[in-house]
Amino acid sequence: MNVLVVLAAILFLLMTLIGGKKGAKSFLAIFFNFAVLLLIILLMNDPNLDPIILTFIACILISCITLFFINEVNSKTTIAFLSTLITIVILLFFIVLVNKMAMIQGFGEEEIEELSSYSLYIGIDFVKIGASVIIMSTIGAIVDVAISIASPMREIYLHNPSISRKALFKAGISIGKDILGTSANTLFFAFFGSYLGLLIWFKDLSYSLGEIANSKIFNAEMITILWAGIGVAMNIPITAWITASFLVMKKERKTD
Amino acid sequence: MEVIRNQLTNLTRKQIVLYTLLILFFISYILFVNYNYSFYKTPIAVIVETDLQETTETVDPFQNKDQVTTQHLTAQLKNGKEKGRLIHLINEYSTSGAYDHAFQAGDEVFVTIDSNGKELTGTIKEVKRDKYLLLMIWVFIFTLLMVGQKQGLFAIISLAVNAVLLSFALDVYIQTSATSLLLICSISAVLFTVISLFLVNGFNEKTYAAIIATLLGTFLSLLITYLVMEITSEKGLKYEEIQFITRPYQMVFMAGLFIGSLGAVMDVAITMSSSIFGVYEENPGISTKALRKSGLDIGKDIMGTMTNILFFAYISGSIPILILYLKNANPLGFTLSINLSLELARALAGGIGIVLTIPIGLYTAIFFVNRKRARG
Repeated sequence: MNVLVVLAAILFLLMTLIGGKKGAKSFLAIFFNFAVLLLIILLMNDPNLDPIILTFIACILISCITLFFINEVNSKTTIAFLSTLITIVILLFFIVLVNKMAMIQGFGEEEIEELSSYSLYIGIDFVKIGASVIIMSTIGAIVDVAISIASPMREIYLHNPSISRKALFKAGISIGKDILGTSANTLFFAFFGSYLGLLIWFKDLSYSLGEIANSKIFNAEMITILWAGIGVAMNIPITAWITASFLVMKKERKTD
Repeated sequence: MEVIRNQLTNLTRKQIVLYTLLILFFISYILFVNYNYSFYKTPIAVIVETDLQETTETVDPFQNKDQVTTQHLTAQLKNGKEKGRLIHLINEYSTSGAYDHAFQAGDEVFVTIDSNGKELTGTIKEVKRDKYLLLMIWVFIFTLLMVGQKQGLFAIISLAVNAVLLSFALDVYIQTSATSLLLICSISAVLFTVISLFLVNGFNEKTYAAIIATLLGTFLSLLITYLVMEITSEKGLKYEEIQFITRPYQMVFMAGLFIGSLGAVMDVAITMSSSIFGVYEENPGISTKALRKSGLDIGKDIMGTMTNILFFAYISGSIPILILYLKNANPLGFTLSINLSLELARALAGGIGIVLTIPIGLYTAIFFVNRKRARG
């Protein structure tokens, strides 16, 4: 039997056992997200389509699946959805900029030997693909942070409907601060785990500090980690601000 | 304006020290990146002029169209014996840029000097990227401090300490190759968990409960994954395309899987224990049964998003290689199985760890709550 099939079966069993219907839905969501990712990768093969726009569409679909399918359409999830998209747009802009400057797109010299039989002139803009990789790596965490802030902020608002926008915003920031550390940690360790082979490689081949600091692969991976942290942090004030404005605006409209 | 003035007058002494340090750090960064040429032995050149030679349309055997351009670069050497002299370089780049770069005036590159006649000529070895890396580190620190303040600082410290620890653990592994990587990673995992959770959450019972739950959850999921790999004799895992391997690949894979899921498992464990303690503190008379129910509800809520985080963090890195394979006319099934099997296994194993940690975290937290109840 195939390792992946067995692992997937165990995961499905555990998720339904512990999570019930919601668990089963969460498991399905992973598969839908995988399908979206594959679809987008297939579309990226068309040189006429812009990878950045494709990435943005993928982010919309993935946020929909993670927020609206696992949970449901309500003010919490809608706010989280909006905040995710705004954060993604801002991040995409800066990521493309930095990727271009640092020239970290495509493949490094450590990888290129294995790929020597492949044609590299494939007409696809790898700078944009590189930005897509960074965004897609962090999309899960950005959605998570957005919903983790929007949801308790709504509770606070429901318990205390006369709260001012500023006070609500502050409460959101303080919730965000508490989850910042753990969310950033989740991503850091995920990346440490994937880059373990690379780190051992650098040490085995005794790269000098200067060589590591300028190597394309190391820079690409470090910059991905740093963007992940920045994305999660940036998402906090954005979500807090949108949630506060949205909830208070709704109240003002009601009283009019 | 008024907001800014208010903020300025509200600054505490600590904050003033912090911001001053940040500014000093930034200035030293600017100075460092602009004058660090002498730290390198390899010659560095700054491009001063680019001259487009010719552009040719290319079509590869798979009908992929691209443009390859040759540019002639004039650059000034910044270090070494020839410092200050001009050097001529030839660069070829494509619009896709999978393994080449278009250069502009102002870009810095490492070069080798080929001929040393009247006019220096050379070849480009590598792009100088250190200043962009430092810039990103600076932006990262700045954003985390601005948004997270104290918690942001702890997140940065936690990242730095864990990175140094990992590097040290790998040094130990490489120097004493007799010890198993898995053993070293297990010891490091315990340290990572203790350090990160204390930094993120402080010294209290919530943290103790989370540490125990994290360790139990991670080791249990690792055990399950190991058993599955044994029973299926690793069918379906394609190690051929695992990159950067100088060591037994299975070990590296297992160790990566182990460390990779640790952060997510920690997140689940701390969420479970904080919320159960939160519910208990709000209502100290609450029954264990009610506590269990609200804990389970929280667990159900985080299950989906947490597994998604790991999934995307692992799989997305493969996007460029998948595109390259597909564009080189490889069948989809082959492309996916050869490039994604390990990442998918990692994501699934991490997911198992996350889900298992929900009940483990729940019962550990309830155990600590009941102990507190018995004492108090």
